[in-house]
Amino acid sequence: MVGEASGATMAATTIDLKEALAACAAGDRAALRAIYERECAAMIGVATRIVKRRELAEEVVQEAFVRIWRNAHRYNPELGPPRAWLYAIVRNQAINILRSGRREDLVDEVPEDVASAVEAHAAAERLPEGQALRRCLEGLEVRRRTSLLMAYVDGFSHGEIAGRLGLPLGTVKAWIRRSLIQLRECMG
Amino acid sequence: MTDDLLADAGEYVAGLMSPEEAEAFERRLAADAEARRAVGDWRARLLALDETATQITPSEGLWPRIEAAIGTVPANAPAAPGLFARIWNDVATLRWASLAAAAAAAVLAVLLVAQPFSGGAKPVVVAVLTAPDTREAGAIVEAFADGRVRVVPLRAIPVPEGRTLQVWTLWDRQVGPRSVGLMPAARQQDYATSGMPRPADQQLYEITLEPAGGSPTGRPTGPILYVGRGSRPL
Repeated sequence: MVGEASGATMAATTIDLKEALAACAAGDRAALRAIYERECAAMIGVATRIVKRRELAEEVVQEAFVRIWRNAHRYNPELGPPRAWLYAIVRNQAINILRSGRREDLVDEVPEDVASAVEAHAAAERLPEGQALRRCLEGLEVRRRTSLLMAYVDGFSHGEIAGRLGLPLGTVKAWIRRSLIQLRECMG
Repeated sequence: MTDDLLADAGEYVAGLMSPEEAEAFERRLAADAEARRAVGDWRARLLALDETATQITPSEGLWPRIEAAIGTVPANAPAAPGLFARIWNDVATLRWASLAAAAAAAVLAVLLVAQPFSGGAKPVVVAVLTAPDTREAGAIVEAFADGRVRVVPLRAIPVPEGRTLQVWTLWDRQVGPRSVGLMPAARQQDYATSGMPRPADQQLYEITLEPAGGSPTGRPTGPILYVGRGSRPL
């Protein structure tokens, strides 16, 4: 019995996301629940970095799961591993909220410069030592690295990054494109 | 793979494209296997950044809300928490809400004639609150110089068990939103407020759904049901 119990636990934590998405596409709610159990807490964390408010982040994740459920049949491995697809949905949904300006409705202003820079840098510092992404990010000039991270981690637009870093919009756009190319070359 | 495609795919994955650019890029993805590979490659590599996020335990209500949302998937369902995530997507809501005052003026005129405020006092600010998604007028706020605020719902607003409507106003972002009062059920209610400045043109009013007893934080935490800006009546 003990063996069975631990086996069941293992199965729950090591579900195959690709299979779970296929099951969702077939209408299996338990599969969605399994994805939720495994990814939800991290998803809220990702969304919180963008929308900055816990309750908004839960709204983001709620809508993300509705989208996962409805679009599971569209998952295409060419567009990345299943986990990356899930997180792309979360970040897109969070960015939608951010762009719509809803975050600021009746809400205390987030101390923008402070909060954003910290999130972006903290994310880079938490990458595993020796990982290619970390090493290659460190190879970028610091403001270029920050620009790129502010986009991906904090969900900022070109204009917001330019405003926060006190740089012309065109400069930020060009920097990020070149940084992406440099990063990709470095990672091989 | 060209540098341009690399950079385009990276911008797409990082969320840097405008909605129009993203849509155009997605059309390309449908037709271009190399572009799909470029996106898949960026997503796979940048996933490590998502993995650095702090894990935050979901509140107990989150899964039930998801289940409710996928269970019904309604096009025109009554207000329920599961629907509000979509409201958040509406870019033009607030801008629209202020314009909506004009559209709802007829309703307002009828209402004011039908229900003149006792004592004949004239509100200094009137706001028509509309639903962020459907843009239907849901309530009217009349704010008086002496701090009284009258809220008149224009339609039935479902309030789930254990929840309440709460009316808020914001006149200064430095100060933040302030509670006008609770509305446990959708019916006309007068509130006496104090410590607020005289209501001003463009002052924001909104009704949110909060836990019974009102928002525990003193700030709006629940979904926005109706929102609008005040105008000075002629």
